[in-house]
Amino acid sequence: MKRAALLAAAATTYAVAAWMVAPGFYDGFGPPQAYNWTCPPPQAGANIKPPSGRQVVKVLNGVSDANSAFTDDGQVVIGFLPGAFDATGKTAITVDITPLANCPQPPGIRFVTNVYRITADAPLVKPANLVLRYSNLLPDPSDVYFATDPVGAWKTIGRAQTAQPFTVDTTTREFGYFGAGYPSASPPPGVVTVGGGQTLPIVVAILIALVVVAGLPLALRRRRGASTDREGRPEDET
Amino acid sequence: MISALKTIHPARRAILVGAYVLLIEWSRALIQYEPHMAVAALVLGGAALTLVVVGWPAERLGLGTSRLGLRILGGLALGAVLLLPAAVRSAAVPVLPAGLAVAAVAVSIGEELAFRGALYAALDELGGAPLAIIGSTSLWTAAHAISHPPAFLGAVAAAGLLLALWRWACRDLVGPVIGHVVADLAL
Repeated sequence: MKRAALLAAAATTYAVAAWMVAPGFYDGFGPPQAYNWTCPPPQAGANIKPPSGRQVVKVLNGVSDANSAFTDDGQVVIGFLPGAFDATGKTAITVDITPLANCPQPPGIRFVTNVYRITADAPLVKPANLVLRYSNLLPDPSDVYFATDPVGAWKTIGRAQTAQPFTVDTTTREFGYFGAGYPSASPPPGVVTVGGGQTLPIVVAILIALVVVAGLPLALRRRRGASTDREGRPEDET
Repeated sequence: MISALKTIHPARRAILVGAYVLLIEWSRALIQYEPHMAVAALVLGGAALTLVVVGWPAERLGLGTSRLGLRILGGLALGAVLLLPAAVRSAAVPVLPAGLAVAAVAVSIGEELAFRGALYAALDELGGAPLAIIGSTSLWTAAHAISHPPAFLGAVAAAGLLLALWRWACRDLVGPVIGHVVADLAL
């Protein structure tokens, strides 16, 4: 009885501790750090607003240096090859990454990251490598989307082979607005959708049902076995 | 090497097992976020953790086959408890990407065999159940200090304590293994 009480207390302690962090679980394969949201989903818990980033790329003999710009939290990294910019008449090129203050919801697209505006004071002449980190609180993105105006038309710029978990890689030849997501008309990529996106509650419900349905006969059999033992036991042993 | 491990003092054995498990867990955590290394780090890390049980009798690890039905049910119940807060908190949490499923199984089994299996048994031999429960939970929490944000460590410790208490109360490791695998596969 004491053991059962200790187990119940430990289960309660776990439930409270897990409830205090998003998504309410102790383990799993989440990103190494929590995602900073512009518009946090309900399950996100405490949230820090995403920071911006700035990088000054040097220009030597009319050729821009290899460099990368990134936000302070590493949620966006854009890398440039040598000579990636049209650096005519420049000694340095400034690249800015700014999270958009609102969260656009263009028709047909569901973003799973913040939308970032990336600008530079020189145009690109070679593709830049863009990496967006995403959260484990929303489905994985299938594509990176681009727009020159956040309230205008968005187009997919695809995604390359991902090097790290919870990041999506692509290349771009122009600056503008970027976000990762998936077509909202289709189910989230890589996710087995059962019961309209209620997968986890269904999994837990099935587990509980299995334990109850299979556990009751086992417990009854054990109790019957124990009472048979007691009845068959000589009195001096009880 | 295994026979040499058996003859050394229980305190040294517990320290060796603990140091080995921490080394593997921290190495795995550092390697898994390198480009293209996630699955390999998890699978190899899980396999390396599993090695720590070599030489231990199955009964000492809690891996007996008596009351197997109850052990399996206990594991499903543990899985439900571990997932319950996330299930209540959000109706639609993403499922683990399929590519990581095998890795999740490997590392879940490896962690249970290492922490609630060999480390628990070594600490139990040294100082009894209280040391085994507290010691295995402490090292489990420390092992996740690199791979998890600090805010998660309370939940990690509470999960470790629950699984270690199950190991003690039911003298069973099958339940924690199943519970851990189910929980990691679902999230």
